[in-house]
Amino acid sequence: MMQGSIQERLQISPFMAAYVIVSMQIGIGVLGFQRIIAKDAGTDAWISVIGAGLTIHIIVWMMYKICETVNGDILDANVYLFGKIIGNSINTFFIFYYTVTCAGTLGGLYEIIRTWMFQSLSPFWFGAVYLLLGIYIVFGGFRTVAGTSFFGMVIPFYLLFSFGFALQYGDFTNLLPIMDHSFIELVKGGYHMSLSYLGYGILLFFYPFIKNPEQSKKFVHIGLLSTIFIYTALAVITFAYFPLGLLEKSIWATLEMWKIVRLPIIERFEYLGIANWTLIMLPSIALSLWAASRVTKRIFHINQKKSVIFIALVCLVIVVLIPTRERLNVLFNYTAIVGFSLAYIYTPLLYLLLLIKKKVKAE
Amino acid sequence: MIKKNFPNGANMANLFKSVKRLLKRKFTLDEQKDHQSGPEKREHRKDQAEDWEKELTKSKDYQKSYYFNQKSGKKFTLTYLSTLVEEKVMDNNAVPPLLEGEFHHIDDVKKLLPLADVELSSSFKDIPEKLLKGSVMLTLEGDKVFAFISSPKQIVRSVSAPEIEFSVVGPKEAFVEPIDQNINMIRKRLPLKELIIEQFIVGKLSLTKVCVLYIEGVTNKEIINTVKQRISDLDKDEIADSSYFTQMISDNGNSPFPQLLDTERPDRVSSSLVEGKVVILVDGSPHALIGPTSLTEFFNSFEDYFLNWILATFIRLIRLFSVIFSIMVTPLYVAVVTYHYQMIPKDLLITLVTSRRVVPFPPILEVLFLEVTIELLREAGARLPTKVGQTIGIVGGIVLGTASVEAGLTSNVLLILIALAALASFTTPVYQMSNTIRILRFPFLIMAELWGLVGITIAFCFLLTHLLRLTSLGLPFMEPIFPLRLRDFKDALFRLPFKSQAKRPQYLRTDDPIRFSKKKANKKKDIDE
Repeated sequence: MMQGSIQERLQISPFMAAYVIVSMQIGIGVLGFQRIIAKDAGTDAWISVIGAGLTIHIIVWMMYKICETVNGDILDANVYLFGKIIGNSINTFFIFYYTVTCAGTLGGLYEIIRTWMFQSLSPFWFGAVYLLLGIYIVFGGFRTVAGTSFFGMVIPFYLLFSFGFALQYGDFTNLLPIMDHSFIELVKGGYHMSLSYLGYGILLFFYPFIKNPEQSKKFVHIGLLSTIFIYTALAVITFAYFPLGLLEKSIWATLEMWKIVRLPIIERFEYLGIANWTLIMLPSIALSLWAASRVTKRIFHINQKKSVIFIALVCLVIVVLIPTRERLNVLFNYTAIVGFSLAYIYTPLLYLLLLIKKKVKAE
Repeated sequence: MIKKNFPNGANMANLFKSVKRLLKRKFTLDEQKDHQSGPEKREHRKDQAEDWEKELTKSKDYQKSYYFNQKSGKKFTLTYLSTLVEEKVMDNNAVPPLLEGEFHHIDDVKKLLPLADVELSSSFKDIPEKLLKGSVMLTLEGDKVFAFISSPKQIVRSVSAPEIEFSVVGPKEAFVEPIDQNINMIRKRLPLKELIIEQFIVGKLSLTKVCVLYIEGVTNKEIINTVKQRISDLDKDEIADSSYFTQMISDNGNSPFPQLLDTERPDRVSSSLVEGKVVILVDGSPHALIGPTSLTEFFNSFEDYFLNWILATFIRLIRLFSVIFSIMVTPLYVAVVTYHYQMIPKDLLITLVTSRRVVPFPPILEVLFLEVTIELLREAGARLPTKVGQTIGIVGGIVLGTASVEAGLTSNVLLILIALAALASFTTPVYQMSNTIRILRFPFLIMAELWGLVGITIAFCFLLTHLLRLTSLGLPFMEPIFPLRLRDFKDALFRLPFKSQAKRPQYLRTDDPIRFSKKKANKKKDIDE
């Protein structure tokens, strides 16, 4: 059970857990989630954003309960519940999940940079350098990964102010009338939104690395709230700024809003934004690599240094093979469905089963 | 160090000077002869004696003098290296009592020279070491034991003003080479029995004295042990300077970043000790090493503490800005001019295009050309004697700069940026760190040329990761930014007033976290009281 116990010098402080989770949540999705949620819920989609966000709090609460019960990570929970063989086969699945997540995130980043900045960017070289960076981070241990999450959130924070420019040109009457969509439409919007929110599941893997996990709860929930706030604010600003008809054609609505930014020394602010996104995406990739390699280490007892390199190579192959938007979309859709079912089906199920098993054992 | 200070030494010296001259029979015997005449049974001992003498006799400063004691008539010899021994003190203060006094047995030396640092020994092994440390060996006829009288010659440089960490206000003394003098300067500032000075001998050939300083009851024991462990694990033949230590005992030897702070200011050392840090002093080096340290500390000048906290904070922020500017400005120029010219506002674009119109090179070559020129100037200025160096600066800076713009090799906008970047890099108060900043921009330039702004961001991420992974004596280098410790910001990027500095930095995990009582410092007065 205590296989996952971690020395204190390798642990992170409780509030840092919030940065890790938020940095994993904020990714490519932020740049273009508005169009997808508006498809069903229209300008009422901001309600879906809040609603979907609130469900995460429940899921994360369950995740904490799961980890607390087994006093370890999800790998321990699976082994505890299903025994070594079945438990570890479920665990092996996470290696694939995080490898593909890593490749998908990298592919998305590459796609944006190629579309907006460098048409001739080679996927191989970009992927290789970026994954090298990821390996370098993971080699530093989880503290370094957490540090990247921290800086990946703090340094690009100034970008939030840039949306003030779009606010100036926004027309908030676009949002009216409120609640003219049916509940079903809102739920559909919420479903699409929940895919953008994904990533908080990493908590199940790095739980043993938190010093005083009990204290971290409040920080994590504040972190989740701030994610909800960012997404809601962006959604509201976007709906005010874009007429609905135009929004339907804007794949990267957030990026397009930056086009209005005019500063005395910088024009085309989106270039700066995309360059910064290279930093914002870094924690997601480093965390995915870390999670995948850590699971490998825990199950197969393989040196984590070797497994990181191997997983990074697999990611590189995937990225090189999917340079087109269509194939990337397919990948995105599959990982999204898997991610959604992991969060909303698997986690509650695991929680219930643990609850039952505990009761049975107690009796 | 005990200075040889005999009672009424000067008077005694005068009195005995004439007598001494009469009695002194100073002659150097042919060693071989001496040995041949020795008794057979002592041959083995003689052999050993010969061993240690064999090399030393080849040196010109080897001295062996023979004397006769007046009372006992016994012959005694003084052996020493004249360049290492204070001969005047010996002649004036040590030799007269030995000639005049009751000298029958070797133990009598201690009575005859009550104030001298005398050590008795019978081991031949000790002899070379003692002689080389400035002791005089005293042997008495018919006695197997010999005495060492310590009388090292102290060639002391006078304490001068700090050159690298110069400050307009505040103390003007800097460390010098002899370690004892440096310790003296620190002891004077911290008259504390808890200030521990532990000595190590490092270097197989140089036998350099290395001292580890800390305040017991303040400094974390784990940190002290780490330092001591690393020093005793060292294996090297020669230690020329404390900078050897920076490279050898730091956590990551392959990092361009120094992980121990070096300083030439005793005031900075003493205040670091009080903060709960460990200081390493190396004999023969005018620089002390302070650890553990963090990145922000390298951008703090000690002068910050002599200024009002508002001014000090402002200056620190200026430094921070200038460092970022210095690293980033030329890569940004390359990235924007090569790839993202759309980012430049129209009016600025006109200026830029006009200045670049005649330049035949791509931006990266233009930048590299100028950057290398600046580096050349810097290096030439550093290698040449001070006065010539200044001329080089003027010739290089003005003539080359103007000429290259006129010749159309570079744009004058870039020239301004490069000059500003060079200037900004000089604001780093710690010399080792300013060297690091010098080289950091080159990888950034290459990445900027490859992938523009994205490349710069990736290079920045590498730098960030590297810094995150660095530790100084096992403690995170990026502290207090990561791990975030808001309380330690009081003396990192900002310098808040002294009354808010009542606690020692958190990350040092000191045994005694409180520096002074905050209540007294924070006492506030009401109006008209």
